[in-house]
Amino acid sequence: MSDLADIDALRAEFLNKDFDVQTFVFEASQLASYALACGETAASYTDPEDDDFQAPPTFPTSLQPKRRLPEGFPKLPGLGMDAGKAVAPKLPIRPGVELTGRTHLHDIYRKTGRSGQMTFFVTRMEIYDPNGTQLATADTRVVIREKPTAQDDT
Amino acid sequence: MSVTTINDVEFGEELPVFDPDTSLENVIRFTEAAGWRGSRFTDHAAARKEGLPGALVPGIMSQGFLAAMIHRWAPTAIITNVDTIFRAPVIVDDVYHINGVITDVDLDAGTVEVDLTVTNEKAETRVFGTAAVQLPT
Repeated sequence: MSDLADIDALRAEFLNKDFDVQTFVFEASQLASYALACGETAASYTDPEDDDFQAPPTFPTSLQPKRRLPEGFPKLPGLGMDAGKAVAPKLPIRPGVELTGRTHLHDIYRKTGRSGQMTFFVTRMEIYDPNGTQLATADTRVVIREKPTAQDDT
Repeated sequence: MSVTTINDVEFGEELPVFDPDTSLENVIRFTEAAGWRGSRFTDHAAARKEGLPGALVPGIMSQGFLAAMIHRWAPTAIITNVDTIFRAPVIVDDVYHINGVITDVDLDAGTVEVDLTVTNEKAETRVFGTAAVQLPT
């Protein structure tokens, strides 16, 4: 699992196929506590009595699928680390509304850095309301740093 | 100065520095709200046993700090994207500063882009982020 052809094979087999579906419901107090801990000051995020009360915009990245990778995905050598998160809020997330998070592998790519080759996986959760309207996307980037082989050192 | 419309924004403008609350008490409140319970976030001794320098501020909390900073600068801002890169751990109870600078302004669309960094007392960048923001025209 160390050449670009393998990455292409993984992309062809696993990208853009939902592998996890979860439902979530959040109370207003939980959303307000999240916002306050982050330092939000606007009433629309911190005061459940506010007419426009909603989850803070980065809240979707806290939602987690039960599976991290699709079933059958090969284990890659190296140490996996959380490299970053991206969120794209589209419409407000309100308390008490059942959310459905559908997760797929959005991208797989490789970079070569000073410490060797790194393989990145971008897992995307798309969050929908009960009407099927998309409210947000939340991406998690995991990087696996591969140990250089003797051949790489020559 | 608090920003209310796109016309209040200048390219290259620096946002007021925000020093987030990384106290253990606040991180515990956050992890309970987020459902991200784990001793590596809430217990310095347990985190050190894992080989970490101390309890970690969750990356999603650092991301939340960035959004809060934008809202403090521009209460009417609608954040449409935040991309965050975790370069190094952010440690509970340490002091951090968040800096932001406007890197793009589209007056017609009412959009701005902001680069954001979370730095420690040694001015080392721990988290880097970019945000896209919509403001009233």
